[in-house]
Amino acid sequence: MRTVKTSFTRRLFLLHLPMALIVLFAISPYLWMLLTSLKPEATLFSANRSLLPEVITLDNYIRLFAKTGFIKNLGHSFIVASGAVALGLSVSITAAYAFSRYRFKGRRPLMLMFLLINMFPVVLLIIPLFIIMKHLELLDTHAGLILGHSTFAIPFATWMMISYFNAVPRSLDEAAQVDGCRPFGAMLRVVLPVTLPGIIATGIYIFITSWNEYLYASVLAGQDVRVLTVAVQTLIGEYEIAWGLLTGGGVVGALPVTLLFMLIQKRLIAGMTQGAVKG
Amino acid sequence: MSAVSLRNVFKSYDDTQVIHGVNLDIPDGEFVVFVGPSGCGKSTLMRMVAGLEDITGGEILIDGHVVNDLPPRDRDIAMVFQDYALYPNKTVFDNMAFGLRLRGTPLQQIKSCVQAAAETLQIEHLLDRLPKALSGGQRQRVAMGRAIVRQPKVFLFDEPLSNLDALLRNQVRAEIKKQHHRLKGTTIYVTHDQVEAMTLADRIVVLRAGIIVQVGTPDEIYHHPRHRFVAGFTGSPPMNFVDATVVAADGETMLNLVSHHRLPLPPSLLQAAGDQIGRGVEFGIRPENVHLAGIGTPAHWPRLSLAVELIEPMGAENLVHFALCQHALIGRFGNDVRPAPGTLLEVALDSDKMHLFDKETGQALDSPPPIP
Repeated sequence: MRTVKTSFTRRLFLLHLPMALIVLFAISPYLWMLLTSLKPEATLFSANRSLLPEVITLDNYIRLFAKTGFIKNLGHSFIVASGAVALGLSVSITAAYAFSRYRFKGRRPLMLMFLLINMFPVVLLIIPLFIIMKHLELLDTHAGLILGHSTFAIPFATWMMISYFNAVPRSLDEAAQVDGCRPFGAMLRVVLPVTLPGIIATGIYIFITSWNEYLYASVLAGQDVRVLTVAVQTLIGEYEIAWGLLTGGGVVGALPVTLLFMLIQKRLIAGMTQGAVKG
Repeated sequence: MSAVSLRNVFKSYDDTQVIHGVNLDIPDGEFVVFVGPSGCGKSTLMRMVAGLEDITGGEILIDGHVVNDLPPRDRDIAMVFQDYALYPNKTVFDNMAFGLRLRGTPLQQIKSCVQAAAETLQIEHLLDRLPKALSGGQRQRVAMGRAIVRQPKVFLFDEPLSNLDALLRNQVRAEIKKQHHRLKGTTIYVTHDQVEAMTLADRIVVLRAGIIVQVGTPDEIYHHPRHRFVAGFTGSPPMNFVDATVVAADGETMLNLVSHHRLPLPPSLLQAAGDQIGRGVEFGIRPENVHLAGIGTPAHWPRLSLAVELIEPMGAENLVHFALCQHALIGRFGNDVRPAPGTLLEVALDSDKMHLFDKETGQALDSPPPIP
């Protein structure tokens, strides 16, 4: 009995408490944001302010949707993120299939390039991208931002998809080809349905990154196409910060991606580790 | 159904040549087994027939037409893969119907074809299931069903039994043979298991390092191997080999084994051995042709007195290992023969079943059997 007791106290102090502290540290800003968004704006800076709201109100959310163009911003975000998913998936699926199934000259350098792009800070690309978009007259358009977001979404998505495709035995493609498919048909009819969970996970990953992206959204667009992240930032004024609206916007903006992430978290991790060990 | 011909077929990966000019004619309806150790190129050769590997040189003909540049879908072949390669998201019915659907077969006809194939393979009750809900043997049957439902020109089997347990393997092997008798389809079957090759094949093609070593019926391959490699590859346990020298003694051509036993040669080997006097050869005899000397063994069979080293009881028979210098000579005897290790036994070698191989080239020195 004694050993059980000591091991439990040891585990409590060495494992559970430190873990709880780390989790608390990680989620406290979000918790604070959520709590703030539910408080009346007037009480935020009052002398007897408290952590937990005394009165729970949706006032901030109502003002957010009624008085600012937040719904429109959500719409822009949705269009851009969906576009990035469509473009990113169509490019990364075909690229990853080729990397996974064919051995061609320059395959390894190309794959390495895709990996290297992921390692560069995105800010390095912003000036060349700005110039390119300006020449293409794509500044402040959905298409421009979708292209911008694809620059970092496609390389990562390609690597993710390669691991999913590698997990599908090549004999499946071959069986489909013997049965009467062209190589592209074998991919479409046989391999893609098998990797559908992976494709969904990759799509959601692209959606989340695009949805949360701020830098490109503010430089390549920001006026006509003002996505959610930029819109939330505009609530920070020079002399005043609308904390109620800001936190409300943050909560609304984080909600879709949080839900999506909860959907895919298992698959995302599986996709990252697939092929690491013999199955 | 159709004939398949391979004309001087080569295959290289970058600078490495793996198939070195293979010539083979497979007549319509024949069951041919490619057999050989792993890495001998048997699977590569079959995948070239399927169109899944490019052909570096030579020609492959199906039904008289060169198919070198045809993609697999236009070759009208069906293939059973080692891992079955069933489409995991399709039901058994859809797996079997897939090829027919792609060819635009009317639905009613698809249904009747799939039903007929399912009946012959006794998988009608599985048609609605997904592959993951099937056992290994059932998956194997579905993979075969998918192949036969299209009635292709050529069936290709790529080690289809290697993922099954021993008992199931025997059942499915018999099933494959039965289906071939029924459909009479030209079949190429790849395996590294010589038992599968012996039991299934009309003709066996023995490959080694990308070269055909011998083509022949199972009987020819087993009883008249043209190469030491073939003799050593077939049979379980394989043929016994003993280093020997051909000598002329007392006006007779004899065989001097490395153990200093001297064997008279049978007439079938005399002529070939006559050219080898003074040279080293390899003497070969299968375990079942080593007999206990005694009543019933012809007097002209050479006899050897050998010490028993080890006995392996196999149930129906006992394998007795004899020591013969560094070589082990194995005899296959009835299960009543149980000599204690260390005892001396006199064995008689069936002189009609003796083989001689060139020590350097491995070629058989006895004359090939007359073609019937």
